[in-house]
Amino acid sequence: MQEIIDSINWAIVTPILIIQGLLALVALLDLAKAESTNGSKWMWVFIIVLANTIGPIIYFIIGRSRD
Amino acid sequence: MTLLTVSKLSKSYDGKNVVNDVSFEFQSGKCIALIGPNGAGKTTILRTLAGLLKPSAGMIRFSGISESDDIRKYIGYLPQYPVFHTWMTGMEFMVYSGRLSYLSEAESKKRAETLLEKVGIIDAKNRRIGKYSGGMKQRLGIAQAIIHKPKLLILDEPVSSLDPFGRREVLTLMKELKEEMTILFSTHILSDAEEISDDLLLLNKGEIVEKGSIIDLRKKYQTSIIMLEFTEDVEKYQGKVNTLTSVRNSFIERDVLHVSVSDFSEAKQEILAIAVKENWPLTSFTLNRASLEDMFMKVVTN
Amino acid sequence: MQWMTLFRKEMIENWRNKKWIWVPIVFILLASMDPVSNYYLPQIIESVGGLPEGTVIELPDFAPSEVVMMSLGQLSSLGVLVVTLMSMATIAGERKSGVLELILVKPVAYRNYITAKWTVLIILVWVSLLLGMLGSWYYINILYGELSIQSMLLVVLFYGLWLTLVVSVSIFFNTLFKTPGIVAFLSIATIIFMSVVTQIFSHILEWSPNNLTLYIMEMLQTESIPSELIWTAIVTIIISIGLLIAAIITLRTKELAN
Repeated sequence: MQEIIDSINWAIVTPILIIQGLLALVALLDLAKAESTNGSKWMWVFIIVLANTIGPIIYFIIGRSRD
Repeated sequence: MTLLTVSKLSKSYDGKNVVNDVSFEFQSGKCIALIGPNGAGKTTILRTLAGLLKPSAGMIRFSGISESDDIRKYIGYLPQYPVFHTWMTGMEFMVYSGRLSYLSEAESKKRAETLLEKVGIIDAKNRRIGKYSGGMKQRLGIAQAIIHKPKLLILDEPVSSLDPFGRREVLTLMKELKEEMTILFSTHILSDAEEISDDLLLLNKGEIVEKGSIIDLRKKYQTSIIMLEFTEDVEKYQGKVNTLTSVRNSFIERDVLHVSVSDFSEAKQEILAIAVKENWPLTSFTLNRASLEDMFMKVVTN
Repeated sequence: MQWMTLFRKEMIENWRNKKWIWVPIVFILLASMDPVSNYYLPQIIESVGGLPEGTVIELPDFAPSEVVMMSLGQLSSLGVLVVTLMSMATIAGERKSGVLELILVKPVAYRNYITAKWTVLIILVWVSLLLGMLGSWYYINILYGELSIQSMLLVVLFYGLWLTLVVSVSIFFNTLFKTPGIVAFLSIATIIFMSVVTQIFSHILEWSPNNLTLYIMEMLQTESIPSELIWTAIVTIIISIGLLIAAIITLRTKELAN
């Protein structure tokens, strides 16, 4: 396992991890500020945090209650 | 000056007539109430006038506006349940409305300030509309509808969804506005219409059943009836009552003399005076007023 | 100018609802996913284990042009899905909620309303595509070999037309239906239907927009722009404009209070 971790070129993977983190962060901030969401807020917290990339996207598409 | 003429307007959905052969016109500067029970077709007429619906038949003509011109420039419209972009602030929505109505940025801002002040929500101008209460939204709705100084302001049930406080405030606001523009509004409550409008259009089942100025209609329907009972000889007194100037006619039902009068207070005086003078054997003197309300109720319940 | 007012409103709305953040990020992730994961595939397979001792994992060495096509493949499936989902309510949602009633009683020209919405979506999609393909380009150059930025920009230019068509289809259905879900479903169904028709009648539908990626691949391999690509691009633009005009006419003839 250690071998694989060493073999990964972090310069390559880091940008992706940062962008994924950013996406989740923006989704969580938006969720925190939202007055209401479609479905409970805690459910969305789990979806955003646990489902990498897909979670935040689903939140933005169907979680935000539309104006 | 006639502002709007509607002739033989009909609107049907799936072959069912919601509005049927409606004709009316009104003068510039008036406040007109379109009154009728729920489902009478009020909203359909207002939406058609605002250009949101297309008439199935008939014509709508605004005087002084050419056929090719966009009538929406001259109309302000507030639906019964206005929905806004809740992510905007009140001020942003006002400026957006102004800009869409061809006002300049500076003019939109100026009008927005003035109107938000006028409708009393200037303190909330930088708050998101999503946080407004129902009454505040209604007032913002009126403000956005008049930002471009329309010739005609159309309001669909402007007070029906408000609590007594909000209702009072909006009615007061409408009283102020009627000094500046022609207002056409719908309501299912007669007292609101009587309070602020000049003219009434009474609608039932898609048809206009009565129209005219409040004053004329009141006269027309406010016939008062005075009921007199005597211990003896009703017919004898009927003849005497009929000679009085304020009495229109009379009839006897179950020994009670029903006197229909044109001027209520005059008739009261005349009848009481002669009764005292001639010492009539009166046992009962009852006043019975029929009003616009009765007429309205009759139309609504039939 | 009324158009600018509508345009600015859409821009601000898409900023406040975070579309300007999440759509570009999603495009970057989609476009970068395959270049990175394919490079590490041997290690990933090895770490998962279970292979008999001595098995040699041989994966072809991908040429940069092949990797570009992988990125486009992701965008053509998930990317198109994201575009239709994020645009499904742009008009339908306003109709459904009732805001449109307040907007269209003002003297708003229908063409301004439609084209402002279309333009903002197009800018959002093109910027996202550009950022996504720059991400892909970055990884290709590190992991697979050199690919000129000019080639990548040409890919963006032609592939952007495909996404423009997707947005136009969505706008068109937005004026027909007021349920966002139906708009998204019909947009995707239309695109799938187009692709099936293009495959069945491939001999006569040479310039079908669905063939754009095919000719983009040819462009990358031959390092020149095939004439079919130009014609297909023109056809795609014409169809998009046609859909836009159809959308304006639909909105104008429709009774919006319903």
